[in-house]
Amino acid sequence: MNEPFITLDNLAIGYDGQPLLSGISLSIPFGSFTAILGANGSGKSTLLKTLLGLQLPIAGHIGLSAPDGAGPVFGYVPQFTQFDPLYLVSGYDVALMGVYGRVRPGRMVPQSERAFVRECLQATGTQDFARQRFADLSGGQKQRVLIARALATKPNILVLDEPTAGVDAAATQSLMAFISRIHQERRLTILLVTHDLHLVRQHAQQVIWLHEGKVRTGTAAELLRPEHLAEVLDIEIS
Amino acid sequence: METLRQILSPDFLLRNSVYTSVLIGLACPLVGVFLVLRRLVFMGVALPQISSTGVAIALCVPMWLGILQPEHAAHSEHLLAFLGSTVFSLSAILVLAFLDRRRRGLPEGRLGSAYVVASASSILLLSKNRYAEVGWLDLMKGEIITVDNVDLILTAASLAVVVVSLALFHRELLLVSFDRAMAVTLGKNVVAWDALLYLLIGLTVSMAVLSVGPLIAFGFLLIPALTAHLFAANMRQLTIFASLLGGAVSFVGFCIAYRYDLPVGPADVVLLGVIYGLAFLAQKIFRLNREGRQPRLA
Repeated sequence: MNEPFITLDNLAIGYDGQPLLSGISLSIPFGSFTAILGANGSGKSTLLKTLLGLQLPIAGHIGLSAPDGAGPVFGYVPQFTQFDPLYLVSGYDVALMGVYGRVRPGRMVPQSERAFVRECLQATGTQDFARQRFADLSGGQKQRVLIARALATKPNILVLDEPTAGVDAAATQSLMAFISRIHQERRLTILLVTHDLHLVRQHAQQVIWLHEGKVRTGTAAELLRPEHLAEVLDIEIS
Repeated sequence: METLRQILSPDFLLRNSVYTSVLIGLACPLVGVFLVLRRLVFMGVALPQISSTGVAIALCVPMWLGILQPEHAAHSEHLLAFLGSTVFSLSAILVLAFLDRRRRGLPEGRLGSAYVVASASSILLLSKNRYAEVGWLDLMKGEIITVDNVDLILTAASLAVVVVSLALFHRELLLVSFDRAMAVTLGKNVVAWDALLYLLIGLTVSMAVLSVGPLIAFGFLLIPALTAHLFAANMRQLTIFASLLGGAVSFVGFCIAYRYDLPVGPADVVLLGVIYGLAFLAQKIFRLNREGRQPRLA
């Protein structure tokens, strides 16, 4: 559990050569549940994009290696709001995209992979509405379908970008309980970007807090102490 | 019926024009679907116009340079037009897509500017070249009267490449269009897949512009995809409906144009527009009826 899976060594991230955050050195253990916290514009999404390979770091190095020597397989769960409703795709079609990395271009998706996608939909409780249009699903349903898609990639690290944004309270609790369960059952490393301190306290073991160009890491218990929160949020506590 | 009998006759003089028109009608909506889904409709307007500027340049420059004399130009005209159209379409779509990816400036502004500059350039280029002007005006009006066997084979082969590529790689092209970030995390080379899609769009546009002109090419790129989107339930239906609609309208439009002695291209586009309008109304009425039948809470 404490073996590092992701190691950031003096990493600088940003856009067009302008660093947003620099000197980031930390490690994320294999099988851990890590939350990335920070205000809007603090660099959470940039850090996530850099880890996923969607953009290059400005400086430094990212090391990725599982204890079994296997490379990282990311199961990426983006925010459901980013998808254009013009696309006529069902929940099943979206989940099926998870296996595309294992199917060579020009080949049919094998039946075994289709069956696996159905298993992933079942695991996330989405099989009943998987044939409906993705754009017509509720926020919570879309998020579950996106988690099914991420599981279909057979990931060893699940990266969730604000999965509860725009999801009602009951669906949020159910979604997070599900994420915690698959974290434990499948020994998945979880990287969760969120604003919700309550969820972090409930589910995360480690916290990466981005604040005013600085990166603080620690356990959830350490960083969510009232004194630390008061300092970061610039409020007084009595 | 007499018109239809004449057109379907194996001895029909304009049969190659019918085949070309139907091929363009079938193929344009296949790439048009991606332009609509990627919200690149303005690119669908600018690209055919830029392509036709390529045709204008290709027709003018060799004569200005004295490489080609007007009296000997007829044999080389189509090859030159094909080269000009293809080079300009592909270059323009790659440059515009690259600028779009950088997410700087106003994409609509770039496309609008490209459209008007391309149109004006074509007029300027051809104003001093009467020989080229005649052919180019036919192209602008959508006159598809004479198509020889070589042109037909060239068009069919190019469009076959487009159709086969889209069929083989539809999954990857859809993934890259729908969720680029996911495609990257799955190890897909998104730049290469984008480039392939743009090449297919560019090739289709250049063939369509050569055969039916820029305005009509735009009509076939956009309207069948928009009409099919009103009724299709999934991506497969969207693609098939749009292509079949384009093919059917190009044939019916040809029949109408032949019967009433009208230019073929504009007849096709007006027909597409009428069908889109009727389909839009039908969909609204269908929805209102369905909502009216649903039980209401007291």
